[in-house]
Amino acid sequence: MSKQESNPERRSQNRNQDTNGYEDMENGHRDLDEDDGRARATGEALVEIDDLTKIYDPDGAHVTAVENMDLEIGDNEFVCVLGPSGCGKSTVMECIAGYLEPTEGEVLINGDPVDGPDPSRGVVFQSNRLFPWKTIGQNARFGPQMRNAVDDDRIRELLEETGLSGFEDSYPHELSGGMQQRAELVRLLANDPDIMLMDEPFSGLDAMTKELMQEMLLDIWEEEDRTVLFITHDVAEAIFLADRVVVMTARPGQIKDVIDVDIDRPRDSSVLTSEAFNEYQKRANELIHDEAERAMEQKQQETQEA
Amino acid sequence: MDTAKWAKRSASILGLLGVWFVVGALGPQTLPGPAAVAGAFVGYVGSPVYWNAITLSTLRVLGAFTIAALIGVPLGLLIGWSVVFGDFTYPALELVRPIPPIAWIPFTILVLPSLAFSLGIASFEIDTGIVFITFLGAFFPILLNAIAGVRSIDDEYSRAAQSLGAADWQTFRHVIYPGALPSVHTGMVVGMGLAWVNLVAAEMISGGGLGFMTWSAYTGGSYPVIFVGMITIGILGYVSSTIVRYIGASQLPWMEGSTA
Repeated sequence: MSKQESNPERRSQNRNQDTNGYEDMENGHRDLDEDDGRARATGEALVEIDDLTKIYDPDGAHVTAVENMDLEIGDNEFVCVLGPSGCGKSTVMECIAGYLEPTEGEVLINGDPVDGPDPSRGVVFQSNRLFPWKTIGQNARFGPQMRNAVDDDRIRELLEETGLSGFEDSYPHELSGGMQQRAELVRLLANDPDIMLMDEPFSGLDAMTKELMQEMLLDIWEEEDRTVLFITHDVAEAIFLADRVVVMTARPGQIKDVIDVDIDRPRDSSVLTSEAFNEYQKRANELIHDEAERAMEQKQQETQEA
Repeated sequence: MDTAKWAKRSASILGLLGVWFVVGALGPQTLPGPAAVAGAFVGYVGSPVYWNAITLSTLRVLGAFTIAALIGVPLGLLIGWSVVFGDFTYPALELVRPIPPIAWIPFTILVLPSLAFSLGIASFEIDTGIVFITFLGAFFPILLNAIAGVRSIDDEYSRAAQSLGAADWQTFRHVIYPGALPSVHTGMVVGMGLAWVNLVAAEMISGGGLGFMTWSAYTGGSYPVIFVGMITIGILGYVSSTIVRYIGASQLPWMEGSTA
């Protein structure tokens, strides 16, 4: 936070003012730069993670979740972060979302340091976080409602696209897991974020539903220009979805390697059986195997100490 | 609810009557059996003394409970939500909480006045001491459950709201308040029961209502009337808790099985 205040020049250089702050929202609208040239793969970095280190220090335990991480995510890029459980990949996402402040380094969005959560950076959580006390319709409307800018046609369209028409008045607990996850996606899209941060959103779903959700997500992403950071421990999922797969090490989390996935888009599930896909999967598996082992050992050690 | 369930619940009450009947027949002379109490009941139901006592006690509970909810719910939500606000208020409240209702009575007699006023045709007298003690009974369960309700909400709901563009007050309005409601509801059901407990204790000593009716039946030697008072208090407590439970459930349509 102090970093931002000490850096006024950078702030004024900001070329995309719509990404920061509540002031725009209070006016009931958010300027979405139509002429910003958000064509696919512009090569410009939208998110810059610069020498990010995050140390958790509960009662002096001093756990380094992420260490000296550098990563740039381009405008409209789909990046998957692949790593074993407990490797700090969620921490990276939480720093971008603005929930956590980095211990060292910084996260820049359009050159501007992250200062708390913002509607331009939408988040989907691992456990479904639809508000259980609101109906599906109320959940879908939530973001726009916060700034009095509900577009009913858009909500209706999104619900229809995701097969949720007719469930507007249902409460989340009345829906299946897959439907809940779709509804959460609708809630996010209704808010029209530039960046979608997704933390293992499909990990709780059965294999069939998961595959359908992945295809739906790709459809949505192809249709509207967005940048996605998708966190997963599922190798196949990462390769199927991503332009680039960032493989992380066990704790302290660092980037082990980055795989550029050069498979044509649009992709559907037929990709999963292609030779290229298998090659990528093999490579990613090799990369992650040792890390998964190390993560498991760490976990075991911690359990014994506790 | 199905018939089997009703049968079981009726059996519970019949069982209690059965135990009473046996103990009354074998036990000490001073313990009246169900028949004597039923006789006293018939006499009291026709008497204005009985209905005035019921009205007075019910109004006291209603007033005290309403005030307790109006103060306890917002206070509890704020304490649960804001660490700073909690640090400033909670320790003082925790210090007051363990003081039993009876211990408050001398204080209330000394400090809290009886207020008399009239509204057009009717005139009222409010014994603020009794209302205060009744209030304490309802207040703490409501407060503590409101605090616990806020703290039980997973942080990710607030984070989700913030990332969707909610300002702090909007997060409070759309996440903290509705998320804490189930627990607030539980606090109100418990609080309603304890309001009656404290009310009767206060009335026995300070006067008026069902508590005083029961106590003066004892000092006057009409033992069956003691049981008329006790049973009436039991029924009213049960009915009012049930009303709170149903009103609460109707406000929580999103809870699984909230209609039960």
